[in-house]
Amino acid sequence: MTTTPSRPSDTFPQVHRIWGKAGWGLDRRATFWLICLPPLFWLAAFLVMPVLFMALFSFRPDMRGDLFQSWTPTINQYASIASTGSYWRLLGISSLTALGIGGMAVILAYPLAYFLVFHGGSRTAFYLILLLIPFWTSYLLRIMAWKILLGTEGVINSFLIYVGFIQEPLTALLYNRTAVILTLIYVWIPFAALPILAALQRIDRVLFEAAADLGARPYHQFTRVTLPLSAPGVLAAFFMVFIPTVGEYVTPLLVGGSRGFLYGNIIQDFFTKAANWPLGSALSMIMLAATLVLVLLAARLIDWRQLFE
Amino acid sequence: MNTSRSPIALRTYYFVLILLLYLPIALLFLFSVNSNASLSFPINQLTLDWYRQLFDADAVLRSARNSLIVALGSSLAATVLGTMVSILLLRYKFRGQSILVGLAVLPLIVPYVVLGVALLILFSALQIDRSLWTIGIAHTVVALPYTLLIIASRLAGFDPGIEEAAMDLGADYPTTLRRVVVPMIFPAMVSAWLTAFTVSFDEFALALFLSGTQPTFPVYLFSQLRFANRLPIMIALAVLLMLGTLTLVFIAERFRQREV
Amino acid sequence: MQPKRSMLFVAEGLTLALALILSACGAAAPATEVPPGELTGSLTVLDWAGYDVEDFWVDFKNTYPNVSVNFEIGSSDADIYGKMKAGDQADVFHVYTGWLQFYVDEGLVEEIDTSKLSNWDKVPDHFKKIGQLNGKQYFIPWDWGFTSILYRTDKVPEGVNSWAALMDPKFAGHVSMWDDGPGAVTVSSYIHGYDETAITADQLAAVKDEWIAQRDLNLFYWAGEPELVEGMKSGDVWVAYAWQGAYALLLGEGVPVAYANPKEGRNSWVGVYGIRKGTENYDLALKFLDTKLAEATGNNVVNMYYYGHSNQDVMNGITDETLKQAFSVDDPEILNKTNFTPNLTAEQRDAWTAMWAEVKAAP
Repeated sequence: MTTTPSRPSDTFPQVHRIWGKAGWGLDRRATFWLICLPPLFWLAAFLVMPVLFMALFSFRPDMRGDLFQSWTPTINQYASIASTGSYWRLLGISSLTALGIGGMAVILAYPLAYFLVFHGGSRTAFYLILLLIPFWTSYLLRIMAWKILLGTEGVINSFLIYVGFIQEPLTALLYNRTAVILTLIYVWIPFAALPILAALQRIDRVLFEAAADLGARPYHQFTRVTLPLSAPGVLAAFFMVFIPTVGEYVTPLLVGGSRGFLYGNIIQDFFTKAANWPLGSALSMIMLAATLVLVLLAARLIDWRQLFE
Repeated sequence: MNTSRSPIALRTYYFVLILLLYLPIALLFLFSVNSNASLSFPINQLTLDWYRQLFDADAVLRSARNSLIVALGSSLAATVLGTMVSILLLRYKFRGQSILVGLAVLPLIVPYVVLGVALLILFSALQIDRSLWTIGIAHTVVALPYTLLIIASRLAGFDPGIEEAAMDLGADYPTTLRRVVVPMIFPAMVSAWLTAFTVSFDEFALALFLSGTQPTFPVYLFSQLRFANRLPIMIALAVLLMLGTLTLVFIAERFRQREV
Repeated sequence: MQPKRSMLFVAEGLTLALALILSACGAAAPATEVPPGELTGSLTVLDWAGYDVEDFWVDFKNTYPNVSVNFEIGSSDADIYGKMKAGDQADVFHVYTGWLQFYVDEGLVEEIDTSKLSNWDKVPDHFKKIGQLNGKQYFIPWDWGFTSILYRTDKVPEGVNSWAALMDPKFAGHVSMWDDGPGAVTVSSYIHGYDETAITADQLAAVKDEWIAQRDLNLFYWAGEPELVEGMKSGDVWVAYAWQGAYALLLGEGVPVAYANPKEGRNSWVGVYGIRKGTENYDLALKFLDTKLAEATGNNVVNMYYYGHSNQDVMNGITDETLKQAFSVDDPEILNKTNFTPNLTAEQRDAWTAMWAEVKAAP
C-alpha cells in the first residue's frame, strides 16, 4: 500500500508490450482520477445540486412569481413548522417506527440469509432470485392483493369465521399503523437479506473447522464465530432498511387508514396536494438533518470501515 | 457447514416466506383470469379476455418497455459507479473519504419525493426535458448506495496484495483492475446489478415526478388505478411479466444444473 | 433594338404581374388553411392520469390524423400547478375548479379566442362563466360532476340527507372522506353555513378540530375512485364523500347504493383546459380544445367514465337510466341546489392545505 509501483517498462520491458497498452500504462495515482471523476461528477450534479436547490427553496416565502428568479430569504417556513407540534411528534414516531421495522426486518432476514449461504449449496443463486422476483411485479398491485386478503370480507377473515375462530371479521388487520409496520417488514425482509448474505459469504469456512476442532458446539459456532463476523452485514442491512423507511409514504397511503400516516406523507402532501414547495422543502430539510444526526451518531459508534472489513 | 444436511426449521422458514411472498401474486393471477372488472371475489368466470386485450394495449406494453430500458440503463450505471466508489474507498487513502461515503449513502436518507422534486427543479432550471433519461439518472442515484454496500462488502474481503503482485508482474493499474479485481468481485457486481435493477423496475415515486411523455410501468399503473375498469389489463401484464421472469429463471437453473 | 426593349418591357411587366399575383396568393394563403387531414405538427398535453386514452380526444384524432399528441401525466391539481410553474412545456393542461385563479395571477395561461371554437355555442352559459376570470376567457370547461354523499342503502336504510353524515358517530369506522384539504373545508362550510370564500382563522381552526375528531370515524381517506369503489363494494365503507362516477359504477355492478341530495345542496366541480402562455402551438391548441368539446369525445366521457361533459347536446342525449340517475338529468332544479366550487386564493390554498396536513399529523 505504501510502495509506488514502478512502471512496467522499467522492470520488464517485454511485458510492457503485453500489459501496458491495455491500460494506458497508468499507475495507481493516475488511475485515481479516472475512477474518481465519474462518480464524483454524478453525485455532485444529481445529488448535491438538487439538495442544495431544495435547501434554497426552503427559504422561499411562497410560490409566487417565476420559480427561478431570486427571492428574499425568509425563515417563515421553519417558523411555522416550529410552531406546529404535531409535525415534530410525527417525526419522532416515524423514526421510532422505522427503527422497529429495521430491527425486525434484520432479525427475520438473518435466518433467510443463513439458509441461502450455508444450505443453499449450488442452488443459492436460484433461491435468491426466487426471493427477489416478486419485486419485479408491481408493488402497488401486490399490496392491493394483500388488502383483499386482509379485508373484512377477505380470505383470512372468511376462513377464520368459517372455522369458527371468530364471529365478527377482524377489522384490526388493515387501515392502521400496525398494518403499515407489518407490511413494511414483509416488504423489506428479502432486501435486508442481501447485505447479510454478502457478509456471511465472506466468512472463511476454515474458521468453523477451527472452532469445531477447539470443541465448540454448533450453537457456539454460531454465536462466537458466525454472528460476530456477520455483524457488519447486519448493521449494513439495518441501516439500509431503517433510513429510507423514515421517509416512507406509499405504504401508509395504501394500508394506513386515517391514522397510519408517517412524516413522509406530510412532505409528499405539500408537494403533490398543496403545491407548497417551500414548506415541503423545509420539512424535508428537517428530516434530512434528523437522519443525518442519527447516521453520524452511528458512525461515531461504529467505524464504517468495519462494515467492509 | 454441511450443505446437504439442512435443518428442517431453516428450510421451512425459507419456504414459508416464499409462500407469503407469492400469495398476493397468486391472487393477482386469479384475478387476471376473472371476468369481474374489479379486484374482488367472487370469481365469476374464467377468461383470458384481459390477456387478449393486453396485446392491443400499446400504451401498456410501451410502459413495460420503458421500465425495462430505464432499469437496465440505471442498474448498469449504478453498478459501474458503485464499483468505482468501492475501489476509491478501499484501495486508496485520501482526505475526504468520509465525505465520499456520506455522499454515496446520502440518497438513502433523502426521501424519494424530495429528490424527485429537487431533480425536477434542477432539470427545469437547466431546460432539460423530462424523459426516460431523467428517470434513469434519478434511479442511478438512488441505487448507488445499494451497489456500493454490496460490492464494497465483497471487495473488503480480498487481500490488496494480489493486486500488488499483479502490478509487480508488470500490469498497470487499470489492467489490474480489469483482469484481477473485477473478476474477484464479479459475483458481488452481479448481485449489485440485480439489486439496482429491482430498485429501478418498480420504482414509482421518482418516476412520477420525472416522467415526460413516456411513463414507466408503475406510473402508468398508477394512472390506470384512477379508472377501475382498466385495472384487469394491468394485472394481466404484471402477471405476464412475472411469469416470464420465473420462466427465465427456471430455464437458467436447468442450464446450470446440466452444466454441473 | 426596338423589339428588344419592348420585349424587356413585356418581360418586366410579366415579372411584375407574376410578383403581384404571387404576393396576392401569399397574402391569401392564411385564408385558405391547410386541410385538416393534412395538417401536421405536434402537441403536448399535460393531463390527469387516465385521460390520455384516445377515447377522450377521438374527434381530434379523426379530424387531424397527422398531428401527433403527446401526454404528460400529472397526479393532482397541485402537481400540475407545480409542473407548470416549474416551466413545463406542455401546450395544453387540464385543471379543476378551485385552482384556476393561480394560473391567471401567475401569467401561466393564454386568453382563449372563443371565436375560433366551432363548438363553443353548445356550451351552456354557466359553464362558460366557470372558465372566465378577470373578465377574460382563460379556460374551456370540459368535464364536470357532482360531489355528494354516497351511501349503502342496506347499511344505512334511513338514508342520508345532510353533509353532517360524514361526521356522524353512528357510522364509526365506516366513513370514507376524500383526501383533500380544500374539500374538507368545503364540507364543513356546508354543514355550518360558513362563507366558503371568506373563511376566518377561527373558523379554520374549528374545521381542523372537527376533522381531527372525524378521524375516529373514518376508515381511510380515498385518493382515487377505485379505492372508494372497492371499499363500498366490500361493505367496509357505508358513507362516503364521492363523485358520481363511483355512484354510477357501483349501480352498474348491482351494489345497493344511493347518491344523497343533502339539504345543504350538492357540490359540483368542473374540469377545464387551458393553453400555456407562450406556447408556439396556439392555433393547434385551439383546435384541440375545440374537438374536445365535440360530441364523440363527449359521449365517451359520459359513457365510459360517467363524468359529465360541457357540451349540452351530449348531456341531452343520455339514455342510460343509471347515468340519468347519476346526473339527475330529470331534475331541472338540480343546478340551483348545487354549490359550485369557488376559486381559491393563494393564501387560502396554503392555509387550507396546511390545515389538512395538521389533521393527518395530529396524534
